[in-house]
Amino acid sequence: MRILPDMDILSHRQMRLKKQITNVILLMDSGHLQWNNPEGIMGARKTGGDMTFPAGEMGIAMVIQVKNLVKRYGDLTALDHLNLEIHEGEIFGLLGPNGSGKTTAINCILSLLKFDKGDIMIFGKPMSPDAYDIKRRIGIVMQNVAVFDELTVYENIDYFCGLYITDKNTRKSLVEEAIEFVGLGDFRKFYPKKLSGGLLRRLNIACGIAHKPDLIILDEPTVAVDPQSRNSILEGILRLNSEGATVVYTSHYMEEVEQICSRIAILDRGKIIAQGTKDELKDMIRSGVTIEVELIGAPPSIERDVRDLPHILSAELNGNMLVVKSEKGKSNLVMLLDYLKSRNIPLGRVYSEPPTLNDVFLEITGKELRD
Amino acid sequence: MFSHIYKYRLKCILRDRQIIFWTMAFPLILATLFHMTIANITSSETFSEVKIAFSEEGGSQEYRLLKETLEQMSAGEGRNGGKKLLDVTYTSRGEADSLLKDGKIKGYICYDGEIKLVVKDRGLEQTVLKGILDDFRQSISSVTAILEENPAAANGSLFDDIAKRADYLIESAAGKAAPNTSVHYFYTLIAMMCFYGGFHGLKEVMSVQANQSSAGARVNMAPTRKMKVFLVSILAAVTVQLIETALLLLYLAFVLRVDFGNRIAYVLITCVAGSFTGVSFGACIAATMKTGEGPKIAVVISVSMIMSFFSGMMYHGIKTIVRSKAPVLSYLNPLNLIADSFYSLYYYQTYTRYFTNLALLCGFFALFSMFTYLAVRRRKYASL
Repeated sequence: MRILPDMDILSHRQMRLKKQITNVILLMDSGHLQWNNPEGIMGARKTGGDMTFPAGEMGIAMVIQVKNLVKRYGDLTALDHLNLEIHEGEIFGLLGPNGSGKTTAINCILSLLKFDKGDIMIFGKPMSPDAYDIKRRIGIVMQNVAVFDELTVYENIDYFCGLYITDKNTRKSLVEEAIEFVGLGDFRKFYPKKLSGGLLRRLNIACGIAHKPDLIILDEPTVAVDPQSRNSILEGILRLNSEGATVVYTSHYMEEVEQICSRIAILDRGKIIAQGTKDELKDMIRSGVTIEVELIGAPPSIERDVRDLPHILSAELNGNMLVVKSEKGKSNLVMLLDYLKSRNIPLGRVYSEPPTLNDVFLEITGKELRD
Repeated sequence: MFSHIYKYRLKCILRDRQIIFWTMAFPLILATLFHMTIANITSSETFSEVKIAFSEEGGSQEYRLLKETLEQMSAGEGRNGGKKLLDVTYTSRGEADSLLKDGKIKGYICYDGEIKLVVKDRGLEQTVLKGILDDFRQSISSVTAILEENPAAANGSLFDDIAKRADYLIESAAGKAAPNTSVHYFYTLIAMMCFYGGFHGLKEVMSVQANQSSAGARVNMAPTRKMKVFLVSILAAVTVQLIETALLLLYLAFVLRVDFGNRIAYVLITCVAGSFTGVSFGACIAATMKTGEGPKIAVVISVSMIMSFFSGMMYHGIKTIVRSKAPVLSYLNPLNLIADSFYSLYYYQTYTRYFTNLALLCGFFALFSMFTYLAVRRRKYASL
């Protein structure tokens, strides 16, 4: 398993943008971008001819556009004027705690759920239950494993793929590809009940992507999955994206979202509270690095003394560990270590951690993302 | 697309062991148990030849005449082609006594100054024997009395006339088959099986409804009309249900020898209509009830059981009670309509009652289907 560092993801996205721009003939017309590449922007993925998408930032086509989406369950507002724009080729992360409205948003976008207000466009067209041309290009990986217990791994994938692809031979090769992709080759004839949680999740993914969709929506695909399978799933999502699919990824695991998503929206109580790349999100807050220093024999007053230092937001002494949150953009680590040295306090281990999305969430909402 | 969905839905249904048990194995087991139980009950009502012994020791002219009469009664076929009445063993009195003690005969006739019937227990057979002897004595008494008055009558056909028996009541079936009340239990069993097809309907609705299963949500997201997937799925369910019903029919007809009369085509039509109605009943429950799978299954089972009870599956007399005290209820019970269709085909020459049942059954099918359609056609859900 290879976990891609940040630079890999960024360079990957840059490469994709470059590829798109070179392949596409841009015809700006009334705020829309039209491409005449017969193979489409994704090469072999597109089967149609000309397509019209609304243009997003940098002229990149908009795959999903949600405007003022409101969904209420009685008195509870599950989605409160939600606005989203998801662009072609990105891995868009929808991050939020349980009950924040991620799955509701996805179900509304997919026209499974009725909503009270708002407009939803996918591939530039209004989404509706009858929009079969749009549905044909979407792959959905549900939060709950959506397979039939009575069908084997192969049969499940074949059944769902068959709802999209009628040609038997084409379907056969697609099913084989999907099995290969998720690494279930040795489990073709297994029934879902015989699979482990991780393998079941992989089957769930295979059922959603076998027909090679242009837009893949994954709703918490790694819930209750072991770390090895989780890494495998995340790696698979990156591969799908590198092969041309736009990915919408919902999760309450910030590490996953940070790891794979090129752009992130943080959702809380049905509202988008922040949106952007992870760096943009982290730039929104005051918190910089979190410094942890092991102090040997420090007086209890050290906690208050450190808190009074400039650019320090908080300081807390947990046993021997002093946990300090500092403002960003300053040489706070050096300053803190110099201060502790000046107080002749012996130091043990020292850790420094850049701000996380949890810090972003904490600063904006005043609560932990995991609450 | 049709064959793709149909094939996989068939696989899903046939591989669901739990449903196959309840919809196929359970009725077969129940039929076997019914057969064993009803066979015991009806054996007490079925008359078979009475085994008796006739002591050849001693006797009179009258006793010898009785022996001749018994020989006639125990020889070959009985009157009107029926079964013979007696199975007589001619032996000594001592042997007859030991046969009676061993339970090998129901009684024996001996001569001890007069004709005597010796029995050990009371029962139908013993009553029959007594009846035969009384009849014989009455005939002898009549002959003696006539001859005392008119000895010349002995030269005429006196003995033939006295021996002659005329039936003024003839048992005949209104239908084409012989009457047999036990078949009703099997008819209600078939009807119950048809309604257990509701499990198939329930399963298929749940497999396409996004608010009832994750797989249903996936189906809703596919670029295929949901109603098309649903109809093909229901067709697969009905196919399985028809196969199961056919297997039960074959088992009943050829293994348990249950009589369906002679109008087999109509029996099959009833099975088809019953299967469609049963599957649509389950589909309707699944589509309209806003609960989880468990309560829906409970409703299908309990409603089927209640309807079976009022159709007479547990107690055959309840059917008559409902029909006489609250006839509307018997028409509002689709399971009873199926059972009564078989019943009317078996017992009645005319088709009026049968077609009334069939029409009402089709009405129920239409009603269940309409409610199911109204619920399943929904393409967006208020909540998932």
